[in-house]
Formats: sequence, structure tokens, C-alpha cells
Amino acid sequence: MKKKIGFVAGVTLVGLALLSTRFYMVDLPVWHFLGGGKAPDPATLHLAGEFVESNLGAAEDPSGSLTVRMIAQQFVFVPQCIVVPAGVPVTFRITSADAVHKLSFLGTDYGLKAAPGAVTEATFTFAKAGEFKIPCHEFCGAGHYAMRGHLKVVPRDQFASLLPGERRTCEPR
Amino acid sequence: MNHASQAAGPRSGARWLGALLLLLSIPLLFSEKDSSPQPENSEPPVRVPSDVAWTGETLTIISSGDAFRGLLLARRCNHCHGEEGFSSVPAFPNLAGEDRLSFWKQMQDFRSGKRTSPVMQVIAEGFSARDAADLAAYYSMLPTTSDPQDNRAFPQAMPDPSRASMAIRLIVFGDGQRGIPPCQSCHGPVSYVKGAPPLATQNANYLQQQLEHFSNGNRSNDINVRMRSIARQLTADERTAVSEYYGAGLGPGVSSR
Repeated sequence: MKKKIGFVAGVTLVGLALLSTRFYMVDLPVWHFLGGGKAPDPATLHLAGEFVESNLGAAEDPSGSLTVRMIAQQFVFVPQCIVVPAGVPVTFRITSADAVHKLSFLGTDYGLKAAPGAVTEATFTFAKAGEFKIPCHEFCGAGHYAMRGHLKVVPRDQFASLLPGERRTCEPR
Repeated sequence: MNHASQAAGPRSGARWLGALLLLLSIPLLFSEKDSSPQPENSEPPVRVPSDVAWTGETLTIISSGDAFRGLLLARRCNHCHGEEGFSSVPAFPNLAGEDRLSFWKQMQDFRSGKRTSPVMQVIAEGFSARDAADLAAYYSMLPTTSDPQDNRAFPQAMPDPSRASMAIRLIVFGDGQRGIPPCQSCHGPVSYVKGAPPLATQNANYLQQQLEHFSNGNRSNDINVRMRSIARQLTADERTAVSEYYGAGLGPGVSSR
């Protein structure tokens, strides 16, 4: 009896471990997909919610922390050029409008996965200033190899603090 | 001994069950944390590029278009866009072989004012969503082959060889260093993205004009800033080169000769 329960518990633990690290082809925990209506619908990102085009880019939260919102889509990252200060924790929130994409900030240790119907959130601190390329690392279609964004890390004193409601990118407007 | 362990059996089983339930509740805790909305003190004014979204309902409306009804409605379009969907004025777009989704979306955007055009906004007022779907079905069926009887502007002058090589590089390979995907990965024939029209039989003047409008923000009805991001990266010379190349009928795609 005891042995049987132990076996069931073991199998459940292994199952949970698998579910919590990778789900189907997406290396994201399964509960990223259990948003229950709160997760953004990839088809209607531009209509409402936090990923409307006027809300993309770096923004300051009420607590004073910096959040960068991005969309990955076939075959561009939006915004294509993002600017953040060095030495400050920056929270990235990213979702995909179609396929699964994966981006890494080339030259740093950081990377992110973007899946449709899920928001991936991570907080990074970029130690040194510089320009980094953001290539797509997950095959997402015919133009995958030309899918590339840019990250500009500027020294902290050069990054003027954001006004409430201001969204900053380094794209020419 | 045996008796004692039997007595402890049910209780230890319950303890195991409790532990399992606790373990199972961990994901629920995480999911609440992940999906909690971010508090915002000040939202910027929301800019919606287009009211059209590729939801199931939208696709149903478009795919139920009736091509014969579209043929009758298209008499109003013939004057500018040609009897067979090929315009005689290079600044007006050719509609033969147009993708249904992109045609319908542009009509809706003209109607809602998301895409501006002094001529088309007035005309699109007169077409309902269903009319637009019928027209889309009709124009998507028109052949893109050449017709000597027809007065069309389409295959335009051959581009300058140096610009042509620039264009073919952008169309086939894009420019990864600057984040410009190849044209053919969304506009065909390699692969298509919802809402991207085929370009193989489009007029040069029209294409160049639209690329300029995308790059300077005069046209901003592309969903999720996709085309604006790309047009902004292209230089003025490259925008001309790509337009000329497609306008001369050299672009990859459905055969135009």
C-alpha cells in the first residue's frame, strides 16, 4: 500500500516537473497558457490591452521600475529598436502575434521566449552600455533569418526619466 | 507489529493525499501571479491602427463573398481599376488576383477612416462589409495574365540594372543586419501572411507611393506596426528599386506574361 502511494506520488512529481518546464513545443510552463481569458488573443493585440501600439516600448511603472513591452511577429520585432538604461533592472513583457519566437540579446546572457496567447515576463539588468542585436532564435517562417531587432543600452545618467504615460523607443518617428 | 502498521495505513494515505493536493495547487498559485494585470497610473491614448482583426468571424464574412455579385458591384470600380482589374493609370493599384483578406481589410479601413484617401474613402462609404467581401471574391478570381486587347499600365519600364540588383536582394534575401525581412516571405510566393497582398502584378508608382506613406507615417493602418517598421528601415533608393522591380513585372510570383 505504502509503496503504491509512493509510486503514484513519484510519477505525479515527474509529470509536474515536465509540465512546469516545457509544454508541447513551447519551452514555457503549462500555466502560461491557463490565463483563463486574461491572456492576450494573438489576433486582437492591436485593438485593446497592454500590447496596443501606443503602449509598446519602455514605460515607467508607478513603483518606479522600468517595463518594456514588445510584440514578436512574422518577421519583425515591434518596437524594432528599444532603449534601456544600464545597471537598472528592466522588466520585459513580450507576446507573439503568430508563431513561437525566441529572442536573445546578442552579447549578453539574456534571452526570452515569445509564444502566442501567453505573456513572457522576465527582469534583466544590463551591466554595460552598448548596442546589441536581437535575433530570432526559433524558426518562425520564411523570413526567420532576417528577423532582427536592436537593443540600445545607454548609461544610466543619459536615460532621462520617463514622464507618466510616456513610452520610449529609439525608432525614428 | 503487523496490526499496528495496518492501523496506521489509512492515516498515512491521507497524509500522502494531502501532500499531493498541495503539490497540485502550486501551478494555480503561479498562474494567478502571472496573469495579474499590471497596475498603471497613466495610460497613453490608445491608438488603434485598424478596426479589423483576423478573428474567426472576420474570416467567415470574407470567405462567404459571392464572386458573381462582386462582378456586378465592380462596375463602379472599372473606371479607375480597369475592366479586368488592371488599371490604365500607374498611380492606381491593380486589383486582379488581389488577396481576399487584404482587399477586405483595406475597404473596411477606408470606411472607418483608418486609411485615408480622398477618393476611396467616399467610394468605400457605399459598400457594406458584405459588398466588400463580394468584391474581394471577384477580384481574387481575376487572372493576372497579360491581355493585348486591354489598355493597362502594368508592365512598366525596365529598372536601371544597378537598382534591379538592389531590389532582387531585398525581395529574395532581405537585409538581416537592419532587420528587413525579404518581401517574398510575406507577400508571396514563398509564404503569405494574413493581410499581405501579392505584389507580383502591382504598379510601380502605386507601390512606391505606399512605401513612402508607410515610412513617414501618412499611412498607418498596418496591424502591429509591421509594414511601418520595415518601410522605415528602407532607404529612399531602395523603396524606388523594389517598386520599379515589381512594376516591371519581374517580381517573383504568379506569372504575369
